Amino acid sequence: MTIAAGKPEEQTDLNHLVACPGCDLLHHCRTLEKGEYARCRRCGDVIQTRKPHTIDRSLAAVLASIVLLLVSLCLPFLSLSRAGIASSISVLDAVAALWFNHMRWLALLTLAFIVLLPLTRLLLLGWVLWRIRFKRKIRRGMRTAFRWSIRMEPWAMAEIFMVGVVVSLVKISTLANLHTGLAFWSLLILIAISCYINLVLCKDTIWAILTGKR
Amino acid sequence: MGDSDWQALSARQSGLKACTSCGALQPLADHEPCRDCGAAVHSRRTNSLQRVWAFLIVGVMAYFPANIYPIMKTRSFTGNTTDTILSGVVVLIQSGSYVVALIIFVASICIPVLKFLIIAGLALSLQHDWDISTHNRHRLHAVTEFIGRWSMIDVFVVAVLAALIQLGAIMTIIPGVGINAFAASVIFTMLAASSLDPRLLWDHSNDD
Ligand SMILES: [Zn+2]
Ligand SMILES: [Zn+2]
Repeated sequence: MTIAAGKPEEQTDLNHLVACPGCDLLHHCRTLEKGEYARCRRCGDVIQTRKPHTIDRSLAAVLASIVLLLVSLCLPFLSLSRAGIASSISVLDAVAALWFNHMRWLALLTLAFIVLLPLTRLLLLGWVLWRIRFKRKIRRGMRTAFRWSIRMEPWAMAEIFMVGVVVSLVKISTLANLHTGLAFWSLLILIAISCYINLVLCKDTIWAILTGKR
Repeated sequence: MGDSDWQALSARQSGLKACTSCGALQPLADHEPCRDCGAAVHSRRTNSLQRVWAFLIVGVMAYFPANIYPIMKTRSFTGNTTDTILSGVVVLIQSGSYVVALIIFVASICIPVLKFLIIAGLALSLQHDWDISTHNRHRLHAVTEFIGRWSMIDVFVVAVLAALIQLGAIMTIIPGVGINAFAASVIFTMLAASSLDPRLLWDHSNDD
């Protein structure tokens, strides 16, 4: 138990209540079976979840994602050939090319949304899950890390970048021969795994562990 | 969920406020950060509507130059062309890539305009107590938060093409100011959507 402040009797009382994040309606906590979830009875948002094997499954998926993301960033995602000249490009090449050709705005946007935010998010999540999984001491920093990993979610845009790559392919297919590189496929798998993480990551369970309520 | 012994009260009406990041409850009068996760806890997001309007106005203002100025300039052997968002869609249709044309049309034109209208409508409905089903407004808010980020497709298309062509040395593609304005528009509209606290929608609601 690492709860810092507050009256004990008040806290146990509050722990049996949950407010809907979508409409603020108070509900009594229900004891959920594994795999069950509870919805708000006014607006229908999910208010409680209990996903089975969440730590093992999400840790495995997060570690796989980190490897795949690094691969996707360094290997070429597109190669282009025309009249015997061939060139291929990775995400990091793309960022560098934009930066050194005075398109700094675009370089920074790409770097932030495709490289920095997704990678930071996965590393934070991986650190928190790793320490929980291997029964290390729960540190206060882990709560901050988990909180930030949730906040970064909408700003990590790897899947949108993928669609952008496909559209670019179509747009200049008449001008040159384009081929998808290895990174294209690893990005595709990465998107599938990030959907899987959303399915198996149980925020309720992790908050309960991090705050010592379980 | 049939716990009918429980009166329908919001956390705020019960003198409590919930942390938006971890869900922990604390008394309304408590000004400390959340004791469980350390986030600042507000019963309703501070100045929610002012922030929504500020971000939305910047987003809408940036959308005009985004459509007027070119997003991409192409120089090749066959001549120079400039593309705006709309002319990019037209070129795709002419070359027969109907699916891609549709994707870009939806992501760069439909979604941003719909988002402006929905966010403005939600904010006005709150300020003027419009009698619209709260369930529908809640759903609209959830949808706008979810789809907004997909508008970034065009930004990444320009980034990929510009970077690729720099390396290819076949022709040059230079991003126009339009794409910067467009990226700013998308980002500010995302901020506007996330500034709107959905719990406000239910505060004056008669729905159950
Ligand atoms: Zn609700
Ligand atoms: Zn909290």
